[in-house]
Amino acid sequence: MGSSHSMSEEIQELAEKTGFTSEQIEHLHRRFKQLSGDQPTIRKEHFDNIPDLEFNPIRSKIVHAFFDKRNLRQESDGLADEINFEDFLTIMSYFRPIEMNMNEEQLDHFRKEKLKFLFHMYDSDHDGKITLQEYRNVVEELLSGNPHLEKESARSIADGAMMEAASICVGQMEPDQVYEGITFEDFLKMWQGIDIETKMHVRFLNMETIAQCH
Amino acid sequence: MFLLLPFDSLVANLLGISLTVLFTLLLVFIIVPAVFGVSFGIRRLYMKTLLKIFQWATLRIERGAKEKNHPVYKPYANGIIAKEPMSLEEEIKEIRRSGSSKALDAPEFELSDIFYFCRKGIETIMDDEVTKRFSAEELESWNLLSRTNYNFQYISLRLTVLWGLGVLIRYCFLLPLRIALAFTGVSLLVIGTSVVGLLPNGRCKEFLSKHVHLMCYRICVRALTAIITYHDRENRPRNGGICVANHTSPIDVIILASDGYYAMVGQIHGGLMGVIQRAVVKACPHVWFERSEVKDRHLVAKRLTEHVQDKSKLPILIFPEGTCINNTSVMMFKKGSFEIGATVYPVAIKYDPQFGDAFWNSSKYGMVTYLLRMMTSWAIVCSVWYLPPMTRQPDEDAVQFANRVKSAIARQGGLVDLLWDGGLKREKVKDAFKEEQQKLYSKMISGNHEDRSRS
Repeated sequence: MGSSHSMSEEIQELAEKTGFTSEQIEHLHRRFKQLSGDQPTIRKEHFDNIPDLEFNPIRSKIVHAFFDKRNLRQESDGLADEINFEDFLTIMSYFRPIEMNMNEEQLDHFRKEKLKFLFHMYDSDHDGKITLQEYRNVVEELLSGNPHLEKESARSIADGAMMEAASICVGQMEPDQVYEGITFEDFLKMWQGIDIETKMHVRFLNMETIAQCH
Repeated sequence: MFLLLPFDSLVANLLGISLTVLFTLLLVFIIVPAVFGVSFGIRRLYMKTLLKIFQWATLRIERGAKEKNHPVYKPYANGIIAKEPMSLEEEIKEIRRSGSSKALDAPEFELSDIFYFCRKGIETIMDDEVTKRFSAEELESWNLLSRTNYNFQYISLRLTVLWGLGVLIRYCFLLPLRIALAFTGVSLLVIGTSVVGLLPNGRCKEFLSKHVHLMCYRICVRALTAIITYHDRENRPRNGGICVANHTSPIDVIILASDGYYAMVGQIHGGLMGVIQRAVVKACPHVWFERSEVKDRHLVAKRLTEHVQDKSKLPILIFPEGTCINNTSVMMFKKGSFEIGATVYPVAIKYDPQFGDAFWNSSKYGMVTYLLRMMTSWAIVCSVWYLPPMTRQPDEDAVQFANRVKSAIARQGGLVDLLWDGGLKREKVKDAFKEEQQKLYSKMISGNHEDRSRS
């Protein structure tokens, strides 16, 4: 990645942009190189090399999320073909734990970002709404590991959950009113008062624990 | 030929005598400072020399690896992220609990369930078991112990000779010396405390008891070649308080007790430990419980409270984790010691794994094997930090107080503050559950759904 001087500058820049420490960035960079096979960008196929990921039911959605341009904070829409290290870090930064020194505004912003990431995961056609069909898709994927579960059950679960969501967001509906879908504001409303940000993070080990004692 | 025989026996005699003299001199040289609590600084010099040798050894391995163009094994202790090994059900319940206010006995699919899988997915992308193993940059220093070396094929001849020399020194010189010291220390402790126990109660007895204890623990410290750095000694525990520390090995007791006079708490064992325990309690009021009494938490709490309330009694030494942890994290503290209401003096102990790994994996090694491993390592280097005393605030309960103390200890020692129970060390958290993940989850949802649709 060039000489050491320019590398530490780049790391500084990335640290400021994404909020990781320079040590964490170095670790993640090593990981990035492992995944990409020493190439500068990662494609979807590279995620097939992670055996543990196979067991995750929403694997495809997670991988998809890495290439989703909305998550990469790019203006355009749709899917990217490949991502570089900075994009990789951007996605990872959605999972940073909360820091002690954040004020109300920062916390709020942080929370919104995390929820937006989740929203994008549900909203696969990028239209800004989670429709019944998209919801059903997610439930089916989550329950896909169980071969005995019929599609009907998965559907009814999704329908029931959607109705609940509707009642929270819109209140009582007229009999012939159609609930179009969960918008992001409704999504936020559903999560009000619940601190999910403490659940949606990955903690880095403090690598300085291998400290010198003398 | 006849002349050789008496010559032979003469040489043998001389050799025998000189070895004995050397040995005795060494013992005296080590024990006398222990008695008076002074140190010549020999151990630190030893440590510095060893470090230089280790660095040289590491460079040789790296050079060897480069020549053959292979990546070198780097044992990352735990990977780069902290994974919480809760089961799927527990974790999802927790997520839901922190979420809705609905009753938990109607778990149907919730929007929040996706969190769990999402996070797990990202965790595996960041760091997974397989790829953790190999890494192509600098090795941490190799400490010439074959138990920590995973790169055997890169050792050159010079390195092998050095390693062989190391083995010789450790097993044939250091080990007998250490065993002799340990033997001396333990027997002095037993005899000393029994003798002191015969005296009538009073200042004289206390004074003698304290010094006998300290002296014998110091000898034991030298028996392990433990090089300890104490920080913030002004915060050392005082009478009527409870000293709380994280637990890595049974050696922790020796390390702390060689710098302060504590009352120990524990269960009476049989065998050698039992002999020591019974002798030691004659000189100083340690709190030993019979095996049957240990189960009765109220009795334990009562006795500890009585001890603590008597201001003339010594500070109690307790390890609230309940088991030995591998010194990279601090686990859940059992709340019993925090309910008593005394001032708590937290102490953080951190071992430097470079000279010898002090963690006792009791499911893997018995006590004797463990002690032998300790005595055949180069040294045990650790740091002890005495943290300022803490008391329970009026608005917190015992569990919150325990967690507060735990965080302070973890932060000082640079250890990860984990919430789960040290008891999990004995029950394996199965990796195979990953495959069952989806099945379990769907069973959880559909099973309950069927119940609901039936009712």
